[in-house]
Amino acid sequence: MHRRDFLKFTGLASGTLVLGGAAAAGYMSGADKTGNTGWGRAPYAKDQFFNRKPFFVTTPTYEKVGTPQRIQYLDNLFRRNGELGMHIRSLGEGGLESVKGEGISSLPQELKAYYTEHPSAFEEFFLTRESAKQQRERWPEHRNQYLLAEAWSKAHASPLKGREAYPPQPQGPPEEWDFEGVNPDPLKLKSPQHGSELIKKITHTFGATLVGVTAIKEEWVYQGILRGVGKTNFAKPAHWKNAIVFAIPHEWESFYANPTYGTSYEAYTMLRFIAGKLETFIREIGFSSRSHVPPNSYDLIIPPLAIDAGLGEQGRHGVVITPELGANTRLAAVSTDMPLEPDKPVDLGIMKFCNKCKICAEECPSGAISFDDKPTKVVRGYRRWCTDQDKCFKAWNQVATSSARGCRVCLAVCPYSRKNNWIHTFARELDPRDPTGFTASTMLAMQKQFFDYPGGSQYLPPPDGNNKTYGKAPDWLRTEEWFDF
Amino acid sequence: MSMGVLIALFFTGLRYWLADASITMNWWKWLILSAWFLFLAITVAAAFTLMGEGEWTAGKRFLLFFGIVLLLAGSGIWKLLKKV
Ligand code: SF4
Ligand code: SF4
Repeated sequence: MHRRDFLKFTGLASGTLVLGGAAAAGYMSGADKTGNTGWGRAPYAKDQFFNRKPFFVTTPTYEKVGTPQRIQYLDNLFRRNGELGMHIRSLGEGGLESVKGEGISSLPQELKAYYTEHPSAFEEFFLTRESAKQQRERWPEHRNQYLLAEAWSKAHASPLKGREAYPPQPQGPPEEWDFEGVNPDPLKLKSPQHGSELIKKITHTFGATLVGVTAIKEEWVYQGILRGVGKTNFAKPAHWKNAIVFAIPHEWESFYANPTYGTSYEAYTMLRFIAGKLETFIREIGFSSRSHVPPNSYDLIIPPLAIDAGLGEQGRHGVVITPELGANTRLAAVSTDMPLEPDKPVDLGIMKFCNKCKICAEECPSGAISFDDKPTKVVRGYRRWCTDQDKCFKAWNQVATSSARGCRVCLAVCPYSRKNNWIHTFARELDPRDPTGFTASTMLAMQKQFFDYPGGSQYLPPPDGNNKTYGKAPDWLRTEEWFDF
Repeated sequence: MSMGVLIALFFTGLRYWLADASITMNWWKWLILSAWFLFLAITVAAAFTLMGEGEWTAGKRFLLFFGIVLLLAGSGIWKLLKKV
């Protein structure tokens, strides 16, 4: 062979090898579990965080259109259902049927007022009860298939049980409880800036992926009920000055396999441990503190606080989307009187992207997510995306789990909920910097054309659906990999 | 480093292929050709990243779509290289 021919064919072979190398490197990067954590390769290293600085804004991206009002506790689905459930139980046997028959007018004053304004929520309550009954009856059919998922969820839920749940529920008014065990001889903090920096570092060491700080606005405080006190109308306590808001993701592989293989409890318990430790730490250094943790131990609404603290923006599905974790962002907060320098909110174009995207609305098995082209509902003085909580909860009671332990399909299918690897990092860095919107449109077109989505009702059990999950469940949650049945 | 060696060998070989096809190259032609090859490599890497993530269908569709786009662009570039 001539030297020239040898070089020509070596070149050709090398070109092929380069492409093969690109394929192999790409595949390994996609399969690499280090992109799956929500944490960097080294603790709190640079690769854990998106640089928010270029996207700081003075006002958050939610739109204020009226006089802000505090959220009444009955606006919270779990509190509302709990209250109605208690009323039904108080009526003894046949209570459910009698309340259903007699309707809204038979309810105690507060519930009556709420349901008169939201009659569809009252209807959904009974439909959900019916679904829950069917879910329980159907569970033996699914039990074997989801044995590991159920065990995994229950394991994560176990620290939440009863009075021993950590952190302890407040006992007594905030002016006492939040100051219990506070160091009586605190040192002088050098500055609020030092305070924020220290608290963020400490919160990361407790396990948080993202941490932000914001001043607590009055409108983000619940009204009508106060943990440790009970039902009461109260003014925001003077020492609830700042909130430290932090986020972690769900375990990614189970998260993609929602609704049946994932669980909310896994992130909830981790958040509770972080919050409880932070609460103690802050008291030890001389300031008041109070945890606000999932599933329902809150006196503050956390998503708007997270937006104020610059963690992200609200998505169409109502959940905060962060650049690092997408919609796989689970939140908790600690309120304190510690002087802290607040973070700035960010505009990453997420709300604008949601105007066009609608994937979560298309995939929601209950039709709870709006298809509107823009947020239209005004809630307590803010125009915002609003999911129908009651419809959503009904889907929780329909999917093939032993009980209502969530759905999370909208979070899994969200294009922002992607792993930490080069291709998604490239997209999340490029999109917010592109003022033309071309990147967002291209990505959305690719997302819709290239990716397979099962589609709304497919996530439900037969006959309505096929127990589909968005992604494939990991082997460690697939019973058939480990057991004969 | 081995990637660098392979790329160098590829471009050395390419020079002879182009010369044998009677194509005279200049700086902008090399730039266009290199950009095309870079996009091809990125497309392959991106498609396989999606496959590695478990998004097999998305990876295959991505490769098919951008593969066709690159093929068309490649034939256009080839004509341009020959013509000018
Ligand atoms: S959790 Fe499920 S049912 Fe609820 S809004 Fe999201 S997708 Fe819909
Ligand atoms: S799925 Fe689309 S519309 Fe829904 S929250 Fe995510 S980006 Fe927004």
